[in-house]
Amino acid sequence: MTLTDDVTLALLLAGCGFYLAGTVGLLRFPDVFCRLHALTKADNLGLFLVCSGLAVHSGEARVVSLLLLIWLVGLLAATVSAHLIARHAHQHLATSPEDSNEQR
Amino acid sequence: MTLFLLDGLIVVGLVTLAYQAVSSRSLFRGIIHFVVFGLTMALAWARVGAPDLAMAEAAIGAGLTGALMLVAYRRLVEGRSDSPADPAPAQSRLALPIAIGSGLLVGVIGLSALFSEVEPAQAGQAVLSELQQVDLGNPITAVLLLYRGLDTLLEVAVLLTAFLAARAVAGADGGEGSATTPAPETPMVGALLAVVIPLTVLVAIHLLRAGSYEPGGAFQGGAVLAGAGVLLILSGRIAATPVAGPLIRMGLLAGLVSFMLIGLVPLLKGSPLLALPGLWAVYFIETAMMLSIAITLILLFAGGGGLKRGRNG
Amino acid sequence: MDSLGLYVLAAAVLFGVGVYGLIVAEHLMRKLFAINIMGNAIFILLVAASGPIQGSPDPVPQALVLTGIVIAVSATAFALALMVRLYQETGQATLSSRDDGDDG
Repeated sequence: MTLTDDVTLALLLAGCGFYLAGTVGLLRFPDVFCRLHALTKADNLGLFLVCSGLAVHSGEARVVSLLLLIWLVGLLAATVSAHLIARHAHQHLATSPEDSNEQR
Repeated sequence: MTLFLLDGLIVVGLVTLAYQAVSSRSLFRGIIHFVVFGLTMALAWARVGAPDLAMAEAAIGAGLTGALMLVAYRRLVEGRSDSPADPAPAQSRLALPIAIGSGLLVGVIGLSALFSEVEPAQAGQAVLSELQQVDLGNPITAVLLLYRGLDTLLEVAVLLTAFLAARAVAGADGGEGSATTPAPETPMVGALLAVVIPLTVLVAIHLLRAGSYEPGGAFQGGAVLAGAGVLLILSGRIAATPVAGPLIRMGLLAGLVSFMLIGLVPLLKGSPLLALPGLWAVYFIETAMMLSIAITLILLFAGGGGLKRGRNG
Repeated sequence: MDSLGLYVLAAAVLFGVGVYGLIVAEHLMRKLFAINIMGNAIFILLVAASGPIQGSPDPVPQALVLTGIVIAVSATAFALALMVRLYQETGQATLSSRDDGDDG
């Protein structure tokens, strides 16, 4: 395996590790806000690592710029969704962990 | 070996998600499992060698079907403070044998098709060998519009019929219900729309044009455009009206009518029906179909007959 | 067994799961999930059982399945409209047949 393959593998594994961490946080954290915290931070960084791993693997400028665009749009979508969820949770739900667990 | 492991993981995920979708404890979880099932199916399509189908499944099968189901779920919980009554599964002793029997039937059919010694059908071979003469790079687009044009024509007709039928059984509220009431406006949603909507329209047009020589096509482009419309409805820029205005009606009928008219013209010259007169006909029909598909799916999501400027528009 | 055979088996199992869900589930939306799962299983059977033609994938089954996906979405949209109207008329989204006669 060449150096490019090693770097790609390392980046992809790190990205998947961050996704795993975010999913564990989603399942185990007690509150809507804690879960959003885990999801947005870990998943966005995981997406960045996966995209950069694929960019390193392909090496073409067109693919790299498309992956950058994908990451930015994914970042924007995740940010606004998290903002809207947190806003709804803050306005309509009780913020104690037991009550938040009852809501969908 | 690793690819086989990947396929195994995808298959296990598909079966688990499917089982969870039909038997999870709350309906909302079932909907989310179904959406993720659709996305995993997109992965499976990519693995089987069908990138067009992967895009179509991700856009239409997972995205739009999920949005339609969530809107229906919202209409089920309107005015109630709890989740909708989800009765316990029926006790049926025959369910498991019937399921296993039908699974075995499908398995036998599939494996016998896979391992049969019969000469495969000539249709695919003929398409691939004629592709150079037709100057279309994507064989699926060629099959859809040139060789099996009747299927595509009827498919657009089915989409329109489903929309008309959904309007016919809709209740008296006619689109003014609260199922798609937008949330109060925040600046972030405006920023998101300002970036994402032009990008989505660009991607949809690119998918339409790229369908001639790369994976893509009218259906994928139409579904992506419908996604933009769903976003506009959810943020209040567009709202539903009970009856469609003339522009919306023209958009709904554009795909079907243009395909029929251009398909009838060869009859006057003695060629068979739907023998399209050239590549320009393919491009024109695909553009009209993308527009029709997008408007139909947006109206199905909105739950009304037409569209107007919304509260936040 | 190669990966195409694995997907054929997956199609069989998915079809079985769909039939089971169709019979057992009570809520109409779950029956819709089950029907869609059965449809997706047959689609992947169609494409996986027809192998590649001289290396490139066979375009005819893929075009048929693309048509099938759009028709499945149309049917699902209509079925959802029917279900919502049934709920608005009767207040429940099931076709409960437990009152009249037995189930298998």
